[in-house]
Parts: sequence; C-alpha cells; structure tokens
Amino acid sequence: MKGRPILGTLAVLGYVIMIVPILFVVSTAFTAGDALTFPPQGVSLRWFGEALAYQPFVGALLSSLQLAVVSTALALLLGVPVTLAIQRGKIPGKSLVEGLFLSPLVVPELVVGLALYQQIMIGLHQTSFVALLVGHTVLLLPYAVRVTGASLALADPAVEEAARGLGASPLRTFFSVTLPLLRPGIFSAGLLSFVTSFNNVPLSLLLQSRQFRTLPVTMLDYVQQSYDPMIAAMSTLILAGTVVIAIVAEKTLGFAKIFGGINK
Amino acid sequence: MTSAAEFTGVTQSYGDTVAVENLNLEIEEGKLTTLLGPSGCGKTTTLRMLAGYITPSAGTITINGADATRLPPEKRNLGMVFQSYALFPHLTVADNVGFGLKLRKVPTDKRRELVMANLDLVGLAHLADRKPKALSGGQQQRVALARAIAISPSLLLLDEPLSNLDARLRVQMRSEIRRIQGETGLTVVLVTHDQEEALEMSDTMVVMRAGKVMQTGAPATVFTAPANRFVADFLGYENFLSQSDGSLLTVRPEHLRVSAAGLEPSTAGLTVSAVVRESVYRGVDHIVTMTAADATGTPITLVSTTRRDTLTADAGFLPGDLVVAQARDHEIVRLSADN
Ligand SMILES: Nc1ncnc2c1ncn2[C@@H]1O[C@H](COP(=O)(O)OP(=O)(O)O)[C@@H](O)[C@H]1O
Ligand SMILES: [Mg+2]
Repeated sequence: MKGRPILGTLAVLGYVIMIVPILFVVSTAFTAGDALTFPPQGVSLRWFGEALAYQPFVGALLSSLQLAVVSTALALLLGVPVTLAIQRGKIPGKSLVEGLFLSPLVVPELVVGLALYQQIMIGLHQTSFVALLVGHTVLLLPYAVRVTGASLALADPAVEEAARGLGASPLRTFFSVTLPLLRPGIFSAGLLSFVTSFNNVPLSLLLQSRQFRTLPVTMLDYVQQSYDPMIAAMSTLILAGTVVIAIVAEKTLGFAKIFGGINK
Repeated sequence: MTSAAEFTGVTQSYGDTVAVENLNLEIEEGKLTTLLGPSGCGKTTTLRMLAGYITPSAGTITINGADATRLPPEKRNLGMVFQSYALFPHLTVADNVGFGLKLRKVPTDKRRELVMANLDLVGLAHLADRKPKALSGGQQQRVALARAIAISPSLLLLDEPLSNLDARLRVQMRSEIRRIQGETGLTVVLVTHDQEEALEMSDTMVVMRAGKVMQTGAPATVFTAPANRFVADFLGYENFLSQSDGSLLTVRPEHLRVSAAGLEPSTAGLTVSAVVRESVYRGVDHIVTMTAADATGTPITLVSTTRRDTLTADAGFLPGDLVVAQARDHEIVRLSADN
C-alpha cells in the first residue's frame, strides 16, 4: 500500500462498505429487545431460538439445502466429463462447447427462470423443485466447468499417459488417476456451487411454489411483512455457515486456488 | 539381428508441419538405441508413436514382429519414462511402482516382492512409503524408471530422462541406466539432444534432423565417420573446408594445431594459412579463432583448441597474427559434397 495512497484508501473504503452493514446485522441479531434497532438493547440469544423455531424458516432451510446439494451434485456430474472432453478430448469446436457451458454466466437469470417456468412448470407440468433443480444446475455448470478445468489444466497430461502405458484402459485411467488428481478442483467447484445455489434469489423467486420455497426467498417474504431481529438472527446463522465453509475451503485449498480458477 | 521394433515408411504430420518423414528404423533387441538430434527434429514424436500415444499418419510400426501401428498404449507392454517423470502424486513410491503389476493382477505378496526388487535396482527401497512430492528430482527419476521396468516391458522408452537433472547427477545416471540395462537385458530406446550422452550410452545412435534420419551406427563409427556435414557439425566438428574436387573436408577443433607462420612443422595432411581473429586462454588449452580461405577461395572460420603439453600462462596468439593451421591425415574426415 505504501506509495499508493489512492489504492490503499479505496481498499480500506471497500472493506468498510462491505463489513459495516454486516456488523450492524450481526450485532442486532444478539439484541434482547423487540426492535431491529442499532445499537442493540442488551444481549441475548433469544432471536436465534425464535428463528430456529419458526417453521417457515426451518422448512425453507431444508429445501434450500436439498436444492443446493442435489444441483451441485448434478452440476459436477455433468461438468467434470465436459471439462475432460474440452481439455483432453479431440473434439472439433472445443471453444464453442466451452462457450455454451459458460454462457449461463452472461444470460440474465430472469430470462432463464422465465423460460424454465414456461417450459417445465407450465409445459411439462413439473413441480417447482424440478424446475429449480434444472435452473440451478444450469446456473452452476460454469463454475463446475471452470474450476475443475483450472485444476485439470495444472495437471500434467503425461501422468495419465503413464497410466495408459502401464496397462490401464481409458476408463481405468480416469478413475484411478484423473479423478484423484482432480479431487481438490472438484471439491472447490462443489463448495462454490453449493454457496451459489444456496444464496440464489432470482431463479428461486421466479420458480417458487407454496410447496417449495428456498430460504432467501422466504426471508425476503418475511422482511416485507415484519421487520424484527429474527431476520437478523437468521442472516447471522447463514453468515456463520458461509464462514465455516470458507474456512474449510481455505484450510484445504487456499482461496487463491479456488478463485484463481474463475478469473482465469 | 533380431529387431524388437521396426518403423517402416512412418510419417507423422501436424497440419503443415511434418514432424517425422518416411522413417525406416530397426530397434535391435537387447541393445540401447539413442535418437539424437536438435530440439524439434522429431525424436519425441518417434518415441510417442512407438509407445502408442500418437498414431502415425502413414507407415507401419511392428513390435516383436507383430503390427502395432494402431494398438493403444495399454496393449503394448512398453515401459515409458517421461521427461517430467509423471509419477502419480496421490500414490506412494511403492504404489507407483506396483501400479502396472496391480493391473496385471499380480497377487499382493508377489507384487510387494517385485516392487521392492525394482526399487532395489534403482537404490530406493528405503523410500517405498514416501509420496513423490517428498523426493528429489533425481529420486523421482529413479522411481519412474523402476515403475517402467516393473512390468517387464518388451521395450524401455526414455524421453530425455536426464535433461532435468543437475550436471553431476546426469553423468552418474548415464552409467546407472547402462548398468540397469545390462542387468535386465532390456531393449532401450533413449531420446536425447546431448551428443556426449548419446556417445557414452548407445549401442546404436540414430542421428535425426527435421524428421529424417541422417545416420545410424555405432557411436565410434558415427563419431569418426560422420555421414554428412550436419552429423559432423552436431558431433562437434567445427572446421569445414571445401575442396576443388567438390568434396568437403572436416577437422575437429582439438585436432587443428596452430603455429606461427614460417615455424610450422612439415607434416603430410592439411596445411592452411590463416589470420588470428581471437585467442581465448582456457588453462589446459586455448581457443584460437582464425580467418582463412578454403581451396575454392571462399572465406571460412577455423577454430582450434589444441591442448598444451605444459602449463603456461601464454595465451598463444594475438589478433592479426599470421599463422598456419595443420591437421594430420588421420584427423581429417572427407564428406561427400551433396550433403
Ligand atoms: N502436438 C503437436 N502439434 C503440432 N506440432 C507438433 C506437435 N508435437 C510436435 N510438433 C512439431 O513436430 C516437430 C517435432 O517435435 P518433437 O517430436 O517434439 O521434437 P523433439 O522431441 O526432437 O524436440 C516440431 O516441429 C514440433 O513443433
Ligand atoms: Mg522432445
């Protein structure tokens, strides 16, 4: 930062803008009072108890987890073979295929959501869970392809060739060499996908139903009707979960590696 | 001679680049053959076609007399050592070496025994339980070698196996690989761009240039009788003199002696007048670079590094000195002019 006062100031400002609202939410979650005000009145865990006892939140949390886990698994199941085909295969038009799988990053989610609503829920009479599953899987594919791709790009192709030379079929090579080499990349792609799905609002908002509603959408609903510290408590719980995931990711892989994969 | 592998009319092109052109080559069984040539001349491509990682654009490759041109690598039973070693990072040294044996369904006890025997062969039995990351470059290299040998391959293929090692280890590994080849009786194909390595290690040298074989032969034959200017140049011949009859004479710098003009001994052989351009002191010898003219009148550069019999601080000559460069008959190689 030394000798770069403008950059330094901007960085500090950035952190302040990011962290201050978070601190505000977290501290109000611990209030003993009834109102969402700052500074909080007293300290208690009262609102955490209420949030965890509030049936719509608990149900929505389970729905969100279910959706995030299944769509992450699907995105990896599709994304990993696609990554391999793009990088190791001899297919023509590789960049076209890659572009196709990265395109969900640029197509507005509302457009994807509307299309899925029309096609899957109205057209095929499927539940909103199915529609959401398709939507989230598509949304997560770019992450799965990019992050595992970045880790595959770092792997020496000669290692896989060595396995072939020693007598392993292509399939055997994949399971006993390629997959173990990719494990850190797949793990970070999974974490990133999970968090992306869990926090998603636009798709989940469009494709919700009375039977299936994700946590962020339910919380949004709640805020529109009542404004009390329970919402801050729920947010704090989500924040804590995210922080745990981030720590696990940092401990196992390091952020630079995970996010380096996306910016590459 | 029995051949372990044979290339017949093999060509490999990548778009407009012809990496290997109409290659005809026999790999003799039980011998160490090196493919020698500058970077980009097609050595790796040749080796990878033999290993089955690339399918030739044209021609056939046989291994032990059977057509293997289109056989995938896992069906060839060849041991390959890659330049990057390519060890499996997630497996221990022992599991790396046992990888091929496991695929061949060798029972656990027998496998352990073979793994240790092969690690012994490369002197690394004590590191069996380490992961590759915990080994030095030289040790990784030996593990890669043990892994390739463990499957009792019909050929052992080595792609520049020594180029990533430091100078001292490299020289040591040369005799090590030779020893292992002697003990196992394996047929070895080794790729290198280092002429010294090829001369020291080969039974047969194959000198390549731009996808074509320039000369094949025993190291002593190739060294003393290079087939053409390219091979001579690659093996360190530096003085080339065109003759009026169209032939080309070549002399190694260490065979060209320099005397002050008028003081030269009268010897049969080659005698050329020259002007010193530069003289660099190097202890046991010095490099004298001279300008002269060959028999056709074309200006040429001559280089001499004649070893001195006595220790001296005398740099020998000064730029501009008139000298005579000489070589004896048996130090002169005559090349045919068309190459
Ligand atoms: N996969 C490839 N695609 C395009 N050109 C290649 C490929 N592999 C090798 N070549 C070209 O073929 C020639 C021979 O390469 P290579 O066999 O690697 O040479 P060497 O091992 O002797 O250095 C070089 O000109 C190289 O650029
Ligand atoms: Mg090469």
